[in-house]
Amino acid sequence: MSEKLLNEQIVGQIQDVFANLKDPVQVLFFGKERDCEYCDDTRQLVEEVTAISDKLHLDIYDIERDAEMAKKYRVDKTPGIVIAGRKDEQIHDYGIRYAGIPSGHEFSSLIHDLVTVSNGDSGLSQETRSYLKTLDKPVLLQVFVTPT
Amino acid sequence: MVEAMEFQELSNRHRVSGVPQTSINDGVGTVVGAVPESQLLAEIARVAGAAKA
Repeated sequence: MSEKLLNEQIVGQIQDVFANLKDPVQVLFFGKERDCEYCDDTRQLVEEVTAISDKLHLDIYDIERDAEMAKKYRVDKTPGIVIAGRKDEQIHDYGIRYAGIPSGHEFSSLIHDLVTVSNGDSGLSQETRSYLKTLDKPVLLQVFVTPT
Repeated sequence: MVEAMEFQELSNRHRVSGVPQTSINDGVGTVVGAVPESQLLAEIARVAGAAKA
């Protein structure tokens, strides 16, 4: 059994943050057996995080063996993480995707996204919301980061 | 989020020069750095078109 990635102190801090979780969240992890340097660590990280609250549900997929699922969620990079809402046993896809291991600063983003999806509020300004409501075509936002 | 070191080819294609860098619609728009919400919104609007009535 490999060592835990998150120590007790961090788990405690996340527990406090997750005390505010409202609705269930569905996390989908996509890995690959070969040629995926960070798949194992990312999978373990996501397992440890989702274990902290019973409002967080995790499904593990293999991008090759579960190709249909990968296609459905438009995941083509591994490790891949989808953060979706889960209400009345239905999954609500908000288009949130992580490609690569969420380490350093991005780990905070991951925790924050889980809370945001659970609370169902983007936290965006009224101006932004008004504009986004008028979109009639998909817009792809890719935020490139490096591990800090 | 795309971790640039794991996806170098993709990062190069998007000409990622500094992080965070937000690429909109496969590079049609670009925002370099962590910017205020209104600035990101402005670039999205530039790429996706102004708000429809």
